[in-house]
Amino acid sequence: MREVPERLITDIGGLPSEAIPQEEVPQLFWEKHMIAMFNVLWSKGIFNLDEFRRAVEATPLEEYKKSRFYDRRTDGMADLLVEKGIIDRAELTARTQEILRQGLPHHANP
Amino acid sequence: MNHDHDHGHEHDDAHEHPAQEDNDVVLTPGEAKFIALRAMLIEKGIITGEEVRRRLEFNDAATPHQGARMVARAWVDPEYKMRMLADGKKAAIELGIDVLEAEIMVIENTINIHNLVVCTLCSCYPRSLLGEPPAWYVSKAYRSRAVREPRAVMQEFGLTFSSDVEVRVHDSNADLRYLIFPMRPAGTEELSENELANLVSRDCLVGMALPGTNLNL
Amino acid sequence: MQTRNPRIFSPGDVVRIRDIGKAGHVRTPQYVRNKVGLIDSYVGLFENPEERAYGRIGCEPIPLYRVRLKQNDLWPDYEGSDCDTLVLEIYDHWLETVTSLKEPQ
Repeated sequence: MREVPERLITDIGGLPSEAIPQEEVPQLFWEKHMIAMFNVLWSKGIFNLDEFRRAVEATPLEEYKKSRFYDRRTDGMADLLVEKGIIDRAELTARTQEILRQGLPHHANP
Repeated sequence: MNHDHDHGHEHDDAHEHPAQEDNDVVLTPGEAKFIALRAMLIEKGIITGEEVRRRLEFNDAATPHQGARMVARAWVDPEYKMRMLADGKKAAIELGIDVLEAEIMVIENTINIHNLVVCTLCSCYPRSLLGEPPAWYVSKAYRSRAVREPRAVMQEFGLTFSSDVEVRVHDSNADLRYLIFPMRPAGTEELSENELANLVSRDCLVGMALPGTNLNL
Repeated sequence: MQTRNPRIFSPGDVVRIRDIGKAGHVRTPQYVRNKVGLIDSYVGLFENPEERAYGRIGCEPIPLYRVRLKQNDLWPDYEGSDCDTLVLEIYDHWLETVTSLKEPQ
């Protein structure tokens, strides 16, 4: 029997779910900044949108279910940049941990 | 154009951060990762801080009001309406709106058909026209349920239609981005184009509200 | 790279959205696979996301169609109106004509 490929984790149309959260959640400053950076990378051809979606689809299911929209964007971007050899994952992890440890102010600008 | 960079972070309880005793905000792993990523990309010369800032400003200019202007113009100008229904991107550009999406398809609501937009697979939305979508639009609950039980979903938002009105759901799963063109409310003949635009909220443009009834503009 | 001749569907054609059993990145959701609907319109030629997702860009663009289906046909327990429909975008290679089935109303 032909093996049926697994359903993509993002392919959730029609699956049971809960009441739709309606409260307005304003975009955080870093989220706006991250989206802008995502747009710049995409416009420069560093990656394309389909590659990005494919990277998100590779998230482990349990992680995907708990994930927040903006964190998925950041993670997908990071995964793709690592895959393309543009950044080193170990360095990213180390620097992220360092920032968390130091508690840099949110409005840190380059 | 106003930038809200300088006021402090405001978290309401709807956010997933734990409550803080003082006014310090919590640095999340997601934000820390972003800060690290940006620093590394700038160091490597892949992007510059200026490029990101410029794009941030461009993105800030995109708001639902841009879509509302198109709707209002189409209500008063039948020829513009025809052009808009034929090519949403060109019609936006005609009004001086900078749009980056490849194609924007405008879908007209009629007395027989009410249209609703969703992206079940991710969160496709005409962002360069309207700005970021609302949290409910990108929620997994909406993405899952809108295609299967659109009437129940719309009812949660206070919208109901009789059974002889066709509810047509558009799953934005490929290359098109959609803008819903709502019907002009009755009794608005005396309003100016600007006043008409103010009747059209963000949620009207995805089919989750009707003009003039949603005060959350 | 694909070198098949794309079929040309016309609005009103009755089509089935095939499950072509493809693994990896696709943009055809599960809930419409093996369902029958109508071609609503031809959208145009677009690069295949199934190629682009793996860095294969610049391939020959393929036809994309909007397909309209009846909600009653998609969900056995659909609770809305009989006239409710759903429209989504399907690439040419996921579609086949249906000649012998009764046309959806």
